[in-house]
Amino acid sequence: MRSLEERVADVRRVLDAAAHVYAERRALVPALVASTGLSAEGVELGFESLEREATDEELSSLVAAAGDARSVHVVLSANVFVAPVRALALACAAAPRVTVRPSSRDPVLAEALVRACRDLDVSIVTARNIAELDADCIHAYGRDETLEALRASARPGVRIVGHGAGLGVALVSRPAPSSAAELLARDVVAFDQRGCLSPRLALVLGGPDGARAFARHLDAALETLQRRVPRGSLAADERAEAARWRESVAFAGELWSADAHTVGLVPDPTVTLVPPPGRHVLVVPVDDEAVARATLAPLSRYVVAVGSDDPAAATRVAPPHARVSPLGRMQRPPLDGPVDRRTPRPSIAVT
Amino acid sequence: MSPREESAALHGRVRGVIRAWANGEAVPESFDAIACDLARFQARHVAGYGRLCAARGVDPSALRSASGAPAVPTDAFKASTVFAFDPADASVTFRTSGTTVGARGTHFMRDVGTYDAAALAFGRAMLVATASVPLAVLVVGPSDTEAPDSSLSHMTSLFARAWTDATEPRVATHHVLGGALDVDGLRARIAALGAAPALALATSFALVHLLDALGGEILPLPAGSRLMQTGGFKGRSREVDAVTLRREVARTFAVPERSVIGEYGMTELSSQFWEATVARADAPVGLYVEPPWARVVPVDPETLRPVHEGEIGIARIEDLANVDSAFAVLAQDRVRRVPGGFELLGRAPGAPPRGCSIALDEMLGGVA
Repeated sequence: MRSLEERVADVRRVLDAAAHVYAERRALVPALVASTGLSAEGVELGFESLEREATDEELSSLVAAAGDARSVHVVLSANVFVAPVRALALACAAAPRVTVRPSSRDPVLAEALVRACRDLDVSIVTARNIAELDADCIHAYGRDETLEALRASARPGVRIVGHGAGLGVALVSRPAPSSAAELLARDVVAFDQRGCLSPRLALVLGGPDGARAFARHLDAALETLQRRVPRGSLAADERAEAARWRESVAFAGELWSADAHTVGLVPDPTVTLVPPPGRHVLVVPVDDEAVARATLAPLSRYVVAVGSDDPAAATRVAPPHARVSPLGRMQRPPLDGPVDRRTPRPSIAVT
Repeated sequence: MSPREESAALHGRVRGVIRAWANGEAVPESFDAIACDLARFQARHVAGYGRLCAARGVDPSALRSASGAPAVPTDAFKASTVFAFDPADASVTFRTSGTTVGARGTHFMRDVGTYDAAALAFGRAMLVATASVPLAVLVVGPSDTEAPDSSLSHMTSLFARAWTDATEPRVATHHVLGGALDVDGLRARIAALGAAPALALATSFALVHLLDALGGEILPLPAGSRLMQTGGFKGRSREVDAVTLRREVARTFAVPERSVIGEYGMTELSSQFWEATVARADAPVGLYVEPPWARVVPVDPETLRPVHEGEIGIARIEDLANVDSAFAVLAQDRVRRVPGGFELLGRAPGAPPRGCSIALDEMLGGVA
């Protein structure tokens, strides 16, 4: 059995591989533009969230969170393109032998990362039948139905750790001046808001006037960022969801809409109109922290991250499992465990 | 005119259309004339609709046809009040089933009489008019006293009261009691029908539970019977595809598959759409028809403009009976116009979303 130090060292080898991929990233951009739908600038921005460094303390936490296995198989499906680094780090912390099945739609970074992993027993496996694999643990990333399908098809006794989808929320205590909006815009623009850390709701403390001012600032900040990091292409489903969401918000509240983003504002605290990804944010006024907590409650099981200009307030409002970070840093959580800290959903396959 | 007087006048005009059609007379005024007046009334008195018109650059006073008025997405009924009056003025309030984030759509009605007139007139034509003898009505669902905020229970109870009487075997019965399926009661009721044909009204998920409970047992309805099925599953039973469910229901109740009639309706509407297999001998299975006071228009899901004839679009439903809420509603179901009516194609399957940001369907799909 490997010691803590040996596991940390293995994770550092993954980070070295990530640093190598980062250094060579320009060669990957065209393929990532094609697979992710992001613009080239969006891919470049996404690379800034690629983990390449971590403290020993963070890696010790990651190792503690990773569990222990003889061999881990990592199933990557719907995720942001930099996610394979953390997934591989967790797997290498858990087991000395790791196999990876990249997302069929977005295999670019996972393949590059595995190629760059030296002195580690890590390999790509493209077979989809997980029952044939010699892994005693599967780390699976994807939507609930994907995870359920994996549980149903795994060999008896195989431990499955699922990491599902989620969303981010911003809590804004000082809607003016515009700095909070500018920071939030950076979190929204990263990965065109398709990450589970990506903020889609902004709860603004202090009433409707402040919320409206914040919505205007956010609209302006997103417009400014669009010039530097153009939004990529949206799929037909995403465009359709966005059109429907805009109509609903136009009915329920106010809209600030541009070609590549929309900010909505509803007058009452509600999370009913959660926007779809693609640079769409719903601004919701909340009188105080208690109202913010109550407003968020129906969504709490899906909230993975809360960003705020007042992290202390965010800690009081956020669900206990959510990562809390300053605005502008929501997409870069420390490498101290899974991004998604909701109660892991390990299960033992029984079929 | 006060808003209440304006509303009453509009209700009267819509009921005039319904009445004329039910009596086989020419309808007194055009669909578009009433629709444009409804749009103007709703833009003035439903705050959100005024905002939606403004956001879309639509001047209601300049409307010349219903198609120029924006449609209200069904999601708005969850997030906002879609009503021209104070909710306290509602005589009836219908609510959609819940979701995992707790949001339920609410449809307030000041005067439910127009809903009732529309439902009875078209329902009679599509379900019972071709029956050679009066039908007994049995409902595989709760009554409106048990589920007062369910528009479906309101409709089935309305039908049961209107088309039956207290004499056996035509007394109407409900077979979901206290939230539980009353299989024994249904079995006894069908046995008591003798040779009297019946109209069974059921939700799809109740039928699935019933089929599971029967475990292959056949409960033959008398010859000439028909069965209405409606609604999706929404996590309340296992999912069964429409073709299989129709076949299994027909087999279980010993009725022809053409006598299993699909209904398409929703809480946010006041009118319903029916499969025409019983009303029209030549209508294919899967053809849904509208009454003259409602239209189903497939629209492009991005532009929200009507698609070309024969193409699939999202259902924009114009329902003149929605006087005090939203006469144009944007549903999420895919539809296609075909000669004589439209096909209902269900929700778009959708490509797997990119990224790990949770999809709206995953978040909103289940029942609370």
